Amino acid sequence: MTVVYIAIAAALLALTVWNLWTERDWRKQCTAAMVAVPLLLRVLMIK
Amino acid sequence: MSHESLLFLLMLGAFAAGSFALRLPVSLSMMLASVAAMLASGNGLGVRHLVEGTFGYVDTMLVIATAMVFMRAVQESGALDAITGIVIRRFGRRPAALLPMLMLVAMFPGMITGSSSASVLTAGAVVAPALMLLGLPRETAGAFIAIAGILGMVAPPVNIPAMIIGGGIDMPFVGFGAPLALLTFPLAIAFSWALGAGKARPVDPAAAGTGPGEELYRRYGPRLFLPVLLVVALMVLGKAAPSAFGLGLPVTFLIGAAAACLAGRRFNALAAAKAAIGDALPVLGILAGVGMFIQTMTLTGVRGFVVVGALSVPPALLFAAIALTMPLFGAVSSFGAASVLGVPFLLALLGRDQVIAASALSLVAALGDFMPPTALSAMFAAQVVGVERYSLVLRKLLVPSLVVVLWALAFIGFSTSIRGFL
Amino acid sequence: MIERHHASAAAVCAVALAAAAVAAASFSAHRAPDVLVPGAGVTEVRMLSDWFPGLDGTPGDTEVYVLRGAEPGGSMLVLGGTHPNEPAGYVAAALLVEDARVARGALYVVPRANASGFTHNDPQEGAPTGFSFPLPDGSTRTFTYGSRATNPVHQWPDPEVYIHASSGQSLSGNETRNLNRAYPGREDGTLTERVAYGITRLIVGEGIDVTVDLHEASPEYPVVDAMVAHERAMPLASNTVLGLELQGIGMSLEPSPKNLRGLSHRELGDATDTLAVLFESCNPSQGRLRGRTDEALVVEGKDPYYLRAAALGRLYVPFDEGGVPLAERVGRHLASIAELAFSMGMESEDEGLELSGVPGYDEISELGVGAFLSPAPEAGS
Repeated sequence: MTVVYIAIAAALLALTVWNLWTERDWRKQCTAAMVAVPLLLRVLMIK
Repeated sequence: MSHESLLFLLMLGAFAAGSFALRLPVSLSMMLASVAAMLASGNGLGVRHLVEGTFGYVDTMLVIATAMVFMRAVQESGALDAITGIVIRRFGRRPAALLPMLMLVAMFPGMITGSSSASVLTAGAVVAPALMLLGLPRETAGAFIAIAGILGMVAPPVNIPAMIIGGGIDMPFVGFGAPLALLTFPLAIAFSWALGAGKARPVDPAAAGTGPGEELYRRYGPRLFLPVLLVVALMVLGKAAPSAFGLGLPVTFLIGAAAACLAGRRFNALAAAKAAIGDALPVLGILAGVGMFIQTMTLTGVRGFVVVGALSVPPALLFAAIALTMPLFGAVSSFGAASVLGVPFLLALLGRDQVIAASALSLVAALGDFMPPTALSAMFAAQVVGVERYSLVLRKLLVPSLVVVLWALAFIGFSTSIRGFL
Repeated sequence: MIERHHASAAAVCAVALAAAAVAAASFSAHRAPDVLVPGAGVTEVRMLSDWFPGLDGTPGDTEVYVLRGAEPGGSMLVLGGTHPNEPAGYVAAALLVEDARVARGALYVVPRANASGFTHNDPQEGAPTGFSFPLPDGSTRTFTYGSRATNPVHQWPDPEVYIHASSGQSLSGNETRNLNRAYPGREDGTLTERVAYGITRLIVGEGIDVTVDLHEASPEYPVVDAMVAHERAMPLASNTVLGLELQGIGMSLEPSPKNLRGLSHRELGDATDTLAVLFESCNPSQGRLRGRTDEALVVEGKDPYYLRAAALGRLYVPFDEGGVPLAERVGRHLASIAELAFSMGMESEDEGLELSGVPGYDEISELGVGAFLSPAPEAGS
């Protein structure tokens, strides 16, 4: 089940970064980045 | 004034400055407040702490994000329109019976998952169009499903705030079913009528404009509802047979979303997923910001200042302190309120029936989901019914919230007699 | 073509990556295990996987230090670090490894019962990653401050609701990673359940007579400065509490609740022949009422908000300006273990456990923990 959840987190991370990249408002870009950081560290199994 | 009280003021000030002067979103204002307190308390930028704080909500983020993806898929497939059409055709003429039914349906996902967001975003989205067709204004419909969200989260069999409060004093989650049912179901039925009073009218299905929904149903048949039924089935099985079906909510929602891609109208799944995450990001960002905020409060001692302050009131005012501070702390997080304040309050309520007192405290804590700036339940409800400013939904929640607090306090006050009744 | 918002997106990503890297460096550094210096009393260093091979190579495997006396006698297992955010238990177990001698019987010490819990901190608790003691030779020894629960990196995701395997009792989902809700454990369960199972196998395999689980509780928690005992362990525990009273160390005695499942004193007592007890000392750095959270709070145990809470009558232990220093809490655990060993001999001549070299309560309160630690081995030696 861990692998499945890592895959889900990775997919959400990808969608988050995609939204960040296409977003025009820098504030919303920052919000996306705040979400991306924990997802990234969990996908890499660092935290 | 103590160092911690000044830091608390600094955090509130930085948050207000971020929100109002700089017009930053709530997520960034929370981070700004956290960074300000980190610097002022001599912790530097505290990057490790800020990032660590966000991890308190990683699992919640996955639940909310996947729930949004599922909802988007169900909507695109046409199932929502079809369900509304059928419900109105069958029950539209009898709103007095339909309203409590819709309330219980909207509560259901919260009851078995313990998550108000899951309730509002799934079943809430299913019942909201029917409510509006019955004549409820958008804001009232939003308030209806927001209340269903928190009552569902508190109602048995799963109530995470009660588990958190119980866990803090080593009380197992046993014997909570009856008190929680008594605490929530009467309120649910009363609120469903009260919110519909004077607004809900019998609807003539022919004139309701549900034709397109019913048309979709004629075209795709019952398989249109398969994704929703699948998710409900997996939630129930996950509760009934966790060893075999304990997939967790994120997997459940994604299975439902995949089914929705095949069940009805065709749509671009990738674009829908991206849009769903785009809609979810402000809330996910708030969760990350809240995580940073709580970690900073704990690290700098502001949390202790707040908790000891709440406990410092004379015993006669203890109920007032519960009624005020728990929903207020819920502005940061309702689970946080349960853990940080619920446990000390329960310890202070010596001599009461502990299970009933903990149940009632969990209801007060759950109200935190209405409290800005996070206001998860109200925010999602506004999103579901299409109200731009969620404060319009909040306005409709004021009186019900007051009733909820008084009801919960009455349970604490009369806990021993209620125990006898049960 | 690069649009203007792509430039800001790239900048935001760069800042986020930098923050992630800084945090990742700290999180990764937290995983390096502490080095303990086994004293002359240690006759063998084994791994928990020796009793349950299912743990071999997992982050749940942990050292078991065996101190066997020349004469046969009773046996005791001491579990430190069940909750790595309760440092007195871990440090007390470490001091047994470094200082204790056994003349009769056998002492088994597991300083890091939940080894995985030592590799991270709980989110939103603002805890330090470690704390240090100065040694008489001017050097310092650093110990890890961890989390109450197994690292999610090693066991993820949590279910929404944790269901204790053998009783069906439900608890909040994050308790799935709490070792002291997992007993007696499961061979094919989660990592936490397998660690619990390994400890149960050790107790059965070695025929451990008495098992002690070392904990700390927050000052506002009703069971603090207390010994919790399984019903079969009650006579032994009462003798121990009386002995401690005679030394001026106040300790309350609580029966292990029958309906609270998964805890060591309940399940190990029910599932094996061991006499299971649990000690709680008072740790302000894990409480909800504490002020600023840092290393000083962990080691010195002084806190202005607990002082106020004490004045409001909200605490279950006396709390004054002096706080509750870690050295005193470690001394309390060690004195209790020594007294328990003494009481074992009173219960039955054959089951005696003769310990020496264990720092006394007054001694360690006065001289500090560092006075009883060996200097860390030189790097590379």
